[in-house]
Amino acid sequence: MKVEENEVGGQREAILEARDIYFSYRMRRGGELPVLQGLTITIYYAEFVGIVGPSGCGKSTLLRIMAGLLRPRSGEVFFRGRPITKPTPRISIMFQSPSLFPWYTVLENVMLALIHEKELSREEKEERAKAFLDMVGLSGFESAYPTELSGGMRQRVALARALVSQPDLLLMDEPFSNLDPLTAISLRREILNMWMNQALPPSSIVMVSHDVEELVEMAERIVVLTERPARIAGVVEVNMPRPRSRRSREFYEYVDRIYTMLS
Amino acid sequence: MLDSSTLIVILLGLMASWARMGVALVISILFSLGVGIAAGMSRVLERVIIPVLDILQSIPILSFFPLALYAFVSLNPILGPELAAIFLIFTSQVWNIAFGVYEAVRVMPGELLEVSRALNLGAGRRFLNLYLPITFPRIAANLPASWANGLYFLVASEIISVGGMRVELFGIGSVSAGFIISGRYLELLVSIVAVAVAVLLTNALVFLPLIRMSERYRMEEVPVEVPRVWLDRVFKPLKDVFSHAYLPGHRELASAFSGISSRMGELRRYLWPLIGVVLLTLTLYLSPLLSNIPTGIGMMLDGFTRLGVNVFAMLGFSVLRVAAAILLTLLWVIPLTVLIHGRRILESMVVPLLQLGASIPATLIAPLIMDMVSSWGAPIELGALIIIILGIQWYLFFIIYGGFKSIPSEEVMLCDALGIKGLGRFRHLYFPRIFPSLVTGLIVAMGGGWNTLIIAERLEVEGRVWEVAAPGIGKTISLAISMGDIPLLASATIAMATFIVLLNRLLWRRLHGIAVSKLRVVEEA
Repeated sequence: MKVEENEVGGQREAILEARDIYFSYRMRRGGELPVLQGLTITIYYAEFVGIVGPSGCGKSTLLRIMAGLLRPRSGEVFFRGRPITKPTPRISIMFQSPSLFPWYTVLENVMLALIHEKELSREEKEERAKAFLDMVGLSGFESAYPTELSGGMRQRVALARALVSQPDLLLMDEPFSNLDPLTAISLRREILNMWMNQALPPSSIVMVSHDVEELVEMAERIVVLTERPARIAGVVEVNMPRPRSRRSREFYEYVDRIYTMLS
Repeated sequence: MLDSSTLIVILLGLMASWARMGVALVISILFSLGVGIAAGMSRVLERVIIPVLDILQSIPILSFFPLALYAFVSLNPILGPELAAIFLIFTSQVWNIAFGVYEAVRVMPGELLEVSRALNLGAGRRFLNLYLPITFPRIAANLPASWANGLYFLVASEIISVGGMRVELFGIGSVSAGFIISGRYLELLVSIVAVAVAVLLTNALVFLPLIRMSERYRMEEVPVEVPRVWLDRVFKPLKDVFSHAYLPGHRELASAFSGISSRMGELRRYLWPLIGVVLLTLTLYLSPLLSNIPTGIGMMLDGFTRLGVNVFAMLGFSVLRVAAAILLTLLWVIPLTVLIHGRRILESMVVPLLQLGASIPATLIAPLIMDMVSSWGAPIELGALIIIILGIQWYLFFIIYGGFKSIPSEEVMLCDALGIKGLGRFRHLYFPRIFPSLVTGLIVAMGGGWNTLIIAERLEVEGRVWEVAAPGIGKTISLAISMGDIPLLASATIAMATFIVLLNRLLWRRLHGIAVSKLRVVEEA
């Protein structure tokens, strides 16, 4: 666990609370397709939360509601005690695909996240973007275009773009599912290192995935959702020392517990 | 007041015009099958046919008309005008169908041909069992666009005077021209609405079923439909009708033009030979009228001498008019497309309205515009500008709208997440993403604009003439048509066609270069 500087009287302080979230998609043939049915999830400071559930259960929808990109039909999301209705630079989101603009260089893509930082000069923005590119191992690629990069490198650019605004909370929607296994391993390690280093953003991470092993390796707490409409099937606290070995018996017990909840 | 006999006249006029266009469409399909399959199957024929088709389609259609009229009347004085009208409509319908057939044959899997060889199918069976099914979807998809194109030139083909010869064929074009001249605006309005309704009905009852029927012959995957809002339940049946109703089906047109752009590489090699082809074609057109070729060349030279250096002023003024019209159109098209992008309910209300508007050909309302402009005492230049806008705005709207539709939703969501909105979103996302469609739209609008110039810069209806004061190449062509001045017509047409080819080449290649190098947007196949 990251240093608990925000502990208040033995109680951990919430960074984000989603209260009683209801969401449905309107169907073409009329009627509504309920996706999330009264979900309540609290994310604490300095926490790494994993969300897993059967495909199509509404994991990504939940993440987008947390980011303020979608409005729930009912229920509210509080970020640091205030309700959020629209995206804020204090929360970053990373999608399954890197979604980089092909007409901008790597550096310009990262700087795009600083567009509202009015007090920074262009040079300062460039400095900061370069520092974050360096952090994700892409120094020297600033002037390359996304089409010239490999899939793993593009996802690193997306990570740098998500972090450059120094958010308190990073939301990730299956960020490794389009990468080859080796690239995914190194990117997972880097994200974990960044999260554990308290000098670096973000404080908390929420990651949606369908890869149970990946979540047990990374997360401190795993929220298991039911099939659509999603409810919470259970919550698993992963109390394993880091770095976690995927070969240990303990690891498999966690994985099995989650699979049992899923089925 | 509107009486029943007027309604009957309108109805009969519609039927006559529809029959005319139907005959032309059948000829277009037969011609396209012959020429398109030949070009698709034989490398040698392809080298000849494709450049010739390319150049023929960049010659302003109206310029064909006097020559065709003379030729057909000299063949048969009674049926001549009718045949000439059908020919004019044919030349406006045929090119996109022909290119569609050609492309369908070109992309046909080679195994299919081998199988039909192995089965020892004869030419007739091969046509019925292989070429017809494989080209059917492309033909069907192009029908609404061809119909709209034909409708655009219907008015001009039904009522025109060339030299001393005055042609008036019974049809909705001549009927509505009569209403304008006699100031019967209510009747005019009714016939315009009747045309729009007839277009929608034709699409719903003829073309749409054909397109549906052709779906199963399609080689490509059917695009996946995205979930939509409940309003679609109401609008879906209507939308199917509307989506094929607007002027030249934008997707077909866009693909036809991107096809042309990919052929631009070939065009560069062929540029000078091509201009030779223009000359040759026109000389061939002239030859029935002239005793021999040398005299023809002499007359052509005479035409060019009379045009002289003025031709540059004409082209200059005309290109300014088209450019101004394009700019003014973009002023409403871009804000509107930005506004309806992502607002699905608004979109499902606005788009069908525009499609309805687009099914009314600009040529039909052009005389009305001129009449109004001159009664206000405004310069005819204003009327010309409005008519050019009417002629091009739908292309621009539907092509740019198509560009907006292709923006990946994740990129939009990313902009939401980063708080990039308003002008910033336009600059960082919309503009780069729609740039290729913008270029395609500009090219198509340019093409449409040049054709519209001939009626916009000088319009003659039943002896009434509205013409711009400043020079214009369209004005000159229209004047030459009216006077039956073939040398002037031929030389002005060649000047215009050459200018279009050069402009497309210089402008298109440059903009395309920017799209690829600066914006790193790869043109979709």
